[in-house]
Amino acid sequence: ARRAAGLTPPSVARSDRSFRIDAQQLQRRFRSLQRAVHPDRFSRSPPEEQLYSEQHSSLINKAYQTLLHPLSRGLYLLELNGVEPAQETDSDADSVFLTEIMEINEKLAEPKNDDMLQEIETLIKVKQEELTKEVTAAFERDDLQEAKKLLAKMKYFANLEDKLKDKKIPS
Amino acid sequence: PGAVGNALPSQVVDHYENPRNVGSLDRNAKNVGTGLVGAPACGDVMKLQVEVDENGRIVDARFKTFGCGSAIASSSLATEWVKGKTVDEALKIKNTDIAKELCLPPVKLHCSMLAEDAIKAALADYKLKQDPNKEEAEKKA
Repeated sequence: ARRAAGLTPPSVARSDRSFRIDAQQLQRRFRSLQRAVHPDRFSRSPPEEQLYSEQHSSLINKAYQTLLHPLSRGLYLLELNGVEPAQETDSDADSVFLTEIMEINEKLAEPKNDDMLQEIETLIKVKQEELTKEVTAAFERDDLQEAKKLLAKMKYFANLEDKLKDKKIPS
Repeated sequence: PGAVGNALPSQVVDHYENPRNVGSLDRNAKNVGTGLVGAPACGDVMKLQVEVDENGRIVDARFKTFGCGSAIASSSLATEWVKGKTVDEALKIKNTDIAKELCLPPVKLHCSMLAEDAIKAALADYKLKQDPNKEEAEKKA
């Protein structure tokens, strides 16, 4: 199926947008769009064209990153379907999940060695892959409310992934 | 003074750099209430615990928050504010009070809301532990 192949928001006006993408095709389209507008090509052009090139190049980068990563792609797809991302505080109903997130955060906060960091990294990756599969399935059967819940969970893991990356940077 | 650009207000910086009451209480103790909440939009998690004495007064509070500076500061302030209050008094703490005290910018108001929700969750847990049968009866009604 044709995917969300238009990289700038207004041009993603297809009725068959799906969550699933072909990463290689996305990358090819990204590169081809960038070739057309990249600032390097406009270094000797009039100022208006240079501005156009900068703005569109930046927009294309942003659109590519949005579509490349499952979480941002999913949230964008929700938005296109008029569904707001989760805003309400998670509490009682989600205590098992929140406890898990808390525990991983606590582990990350402890001083540790590379092996432990690796273990945590693997755990986070596995969880993210599971959630991505579930989100894909939810979008495929048009269950946007379920997709919304799953994307909320993915956000917690995305934060953990960022924290882990910070830990790995030698200080 | 409010926040300028992206700089955190000084009150937030203080609670962020010197957070009060970080830690845990014994969640299995009957007089300890534990609230665990999360903000799905930003992925912050917050645990707030209260220890209540036999007179219904909160004598100790602890928190653990993983999130932005404003979330940490909000929960730090929340634990300071609940101490010495009765359960019912603590339930009156509003996110707007927290936000005002910390001069939170509009984009961070949800952090104070999360702290208010954490207080309520901790107190609800405490109440449930005092009278589980009553809760069950209320649920069935």
